[in-house]
Amino acid sequence: MSADVFGGLDLQNLASLGQIAVKSSTAVLLAAYGEIVAERAGVLNLGLEGMLLLGALAGFAAGAATGDPLLALGAAACAGALAALLHAFFAVTLGVNQVLSGLALSLLGAGLTGVLGRDLLGAPGLVLGSLPIAALADLPVLGQALFNQPLLTYLALLLAPVLSWAFASTRLGLVVRACGENASAAYASGVPVRLVRFGCTCFGGALAGLGGAFLSLSYTPGWKEGLSAGQGWIAIAMVIFATWRPLRALCGGLLFGALTAAQFSFQTQGAELVPVWGLRAAPYLLTIAVLTLVQASARLRRYSGPPANLGRFFHPEG
Amino acid sequence: MRSSETPPLLSCHGLSKRFGASVGAGGVLANDAVDLDLYAGCIHALLGENGAGKSTLMSMLSGWLTPDSGEMRLSGAPLVLRSPAAALRAGIGMVHQRFSLVEALSVAENLALAAGGAPDPKAAAELAQRFGLALDPRRRVAELCMGERQRLEILKMLALGARILILDEPTSVLAPSEIGTLYANLRRLAGEGRAVVLITHKLPEIAGAADEVSVLRRGRMVARNLPRDPALPDGWNMAALSGLMVGRELPGESAAPRRKPGEAVLRVRGLCGQGQPPVFSDIDFEVARGETFAIVGVAGNGQEALTATLGGMERPASGSVEVLGRPIGPRTGRDLVAYVPEDRHGAATVPDLTLAENLLLSTTGSRGAFFSRRAGARAAAAAIKALDVTASGPEALARELSGGNLQKFILARELAKAAPLLLVEQPTQGLDVLAVSEVHAAIRHAAESAAVLLVTGDPLEALALAGRVAVLFRGRIAGVVDATAPDAFDRVGRLMAGLGAGGPDMGLAAAGGGH
Repeated sequence: MSADVFGGLDLQNLASLGQIAVKSSTAVLLAAYGEIVAERAGVLNLGLEGMLLLGALAGFAAGAATGDPLLALGAAACAGALAALLHAFFAVTLGVNQVLSGLALSLLGAGLTGVLGRDLLGAPGLVLGSLPIAALADLPVLGQALFNQPLLTYLALLLAPVLSWAFASTRLGLVVRACGENASAAYASGVPVRLVRFGCTCFGGALAGLGGAFLSLSYTPGWKEGLSAGQGWIAIAMVIFATWRPLRALCGGLLFGALTAAQFSFQTQGAELVPVWGLRAAPYLLTIAVLTLVQASARLRRYSGPPANLGRFFHPEG
Repeated sequence: MRSSETPPLLSCHGLSKRFGASVGAGGVLANDAVDLDLYAGCIHALLGENGAGKSTLMSMLSGWLTPDSGEMRLSGAPLVLRSPAAALRAGIGMVHQRFSLVEALSVAENLALAAGGAPDPKAAAELAQRFGLALDPRRRVAELCMGERQRLEILKMLALGARILILDEPTSVLAPSEIGTLYANLRRLAGEGRAVVLITHKLPEIAGAADEVSVLRRGRMVARNLPRDPALPDGWNMAALSGLMVGRELPGESAAPRRKPGEAVLRVRGLCGQGQPPVFSDIDFEVARGETFAIVGVAGNGQEALTATLGGMERPASGSVEVLGRPIGPRTGRDLVAYVPEDRHGAATVPDLTLAENLLLSTTGSRGAFFSRRAGARAAAAAIKALDVTASGPEALARELSGGNLQKFILARELAKAAPLLLVEQPTQGLDVLAVSEVHAAIRHAAESAAVLLVTGDPLEALALAGRVAVLFRGRIAGVVDATAPDAFDRVGRLMAGLGAGGPDMGLAAAGGGH
């Protein structure tokens, strides 16, 4: 997008658009990373939307009650992890259909937060604002986008390279991948497959919970029902879009953020260059495009497919 | 070899395992009070048909299953194994028939997964060198051939310090020349003080390899720790062992009948596969009605892709496949080919559907979008009857059948199509002796009225069934051997290993295709 199509868009506007774009991607990114970790271990968790909502409410409630940012974030992570634990119990221990269990978790999260959050609707609470990083925040354009953000946004930016490195070069990453690719081979090698799957699912839940807390404490501070507005589903699309790679998820998440920022920009300019429904559908359309591309090439299929044992129940005695 | 005073490294006493029912006499008694002793320095062959309980016994030794009763002792001390990890710690490693490798990971990563630590290609290369097992640590397992995967599995166990090495049907994926290498490796490993167990149902293979033999039949040990008899050329009385395994006489395997071949049914011209370089290329041959033509090759030489192309599942890059003058491809001529795929539980049947439903799936009904359940059940019952399949009936689920019975059912289903070409891929892999002879008989019968194309990794099977045997090596037909020639087996073996036929072969022109 060049500057002139926005009619007098200056550097200052561009900087603030960049800031909005990066900020808007945070919740989707955190949830997507969590889902990548769970899916690389072999557990499909479609409960992201529910875990986002539970994290958002728990984080907001704890923040409002104590005013302590750490407690608020801890409560959000715990709420997400607990919800994921429920899913892990059904999926990993009992071996029920993971699609159903995950969808149930999404519905449960939406319903439960709707009821429990009634008294907190519109209540004032803790706000976690931007933490500019001294000199870096003054860089032109990029400074605002990358170095003048809330804490969880930094986490979302940093986690991609960290996870990527962990998958590639650490024992733990290897074990996780082995559980998702061939659980019985991992088990034969002495890996406690079900424990790893529990751990990864709960880690994913904790990240989704933090993503939710970002929404209720930083992005649009306050609680309202259905606050996540489908970002959990976008995150699931993002995992497939990223072909289960954290760094590609970062790119996808930022793209999603840019689309959101574009919606803002159109609203303030009063001019819709692209219809808003098009922007909203874009993440899903892009995911379908990536899926089609990957399927069309045997090489891509081999290197960018889903984990071979994704969603498959593992029990040591068959 | 061992002296009679050596105590066993591992001894099992009265091991029993029952499946399917927790109380009473229900279910299947897979192992019934089994005794077995394993000695250091000794290669022990465990013989038995499929379903005899070999795998159950070895799964208990390697910690995958816990015995219902009985005890194990390692160097005299009681041993209780609750997981494969515990067995590995005790020094017992098992190489399963289906390898426990993560295909998406590299050789070094698979080693690290098993042996601990972060992946280290350099250390992996050193380890491979130390045990004389050639492997490139950076390659992904998905890119390795079966022989290499097996070496990686063995290396994994060695890296974990295995003193007892159990191999389940280790030769079923190997070329004749690779089998020699495997046995040499195992002999060396046993010489270093390890106990090696070979699980097999192929009698001729133990002659060259084993020091001791035990035989399981229907869950019972019917012969235990029989030492090699130096007076016999094979080491054991093979006919007696075979009788112990099967418990009854086998129908004799007659040599393939020589018939005058009829008209050419299958014509393959200049066929090249997809990929760069192509997975197979310059494939030319013809198969006539009443003839069985075999394509053999070690896994990974292009026969999977070639079979898929010949069966019309994949499109070739160039060249043509014709049956009775009609081209075979993804959209054409599929009704001319009856196809028995290698993967009985994947490509051939849907495990969770009934036999009748599986039959309906692969046959196009006369009523368009609808089908008659009753007609399906009737056809399934006919298939069950035609090849004497042991199944509870047309409503049995495919996964409930044993490998041999499911294979017979699939064969019967395909034969019922009365297609001019029968394409059979690895028809007896993993089947017991009796089922093998029944499947072979059915293929011979089919060859009386149709052209049969057999794709197999087993040269003995190819020579037993086919009149001509083409050997596929690195995607090309390395030579075509007349199965009646006295040195046919040697020549096929040499061609499979890429050594050339070492004699006049029939040449590509005689294969019916030539440019």
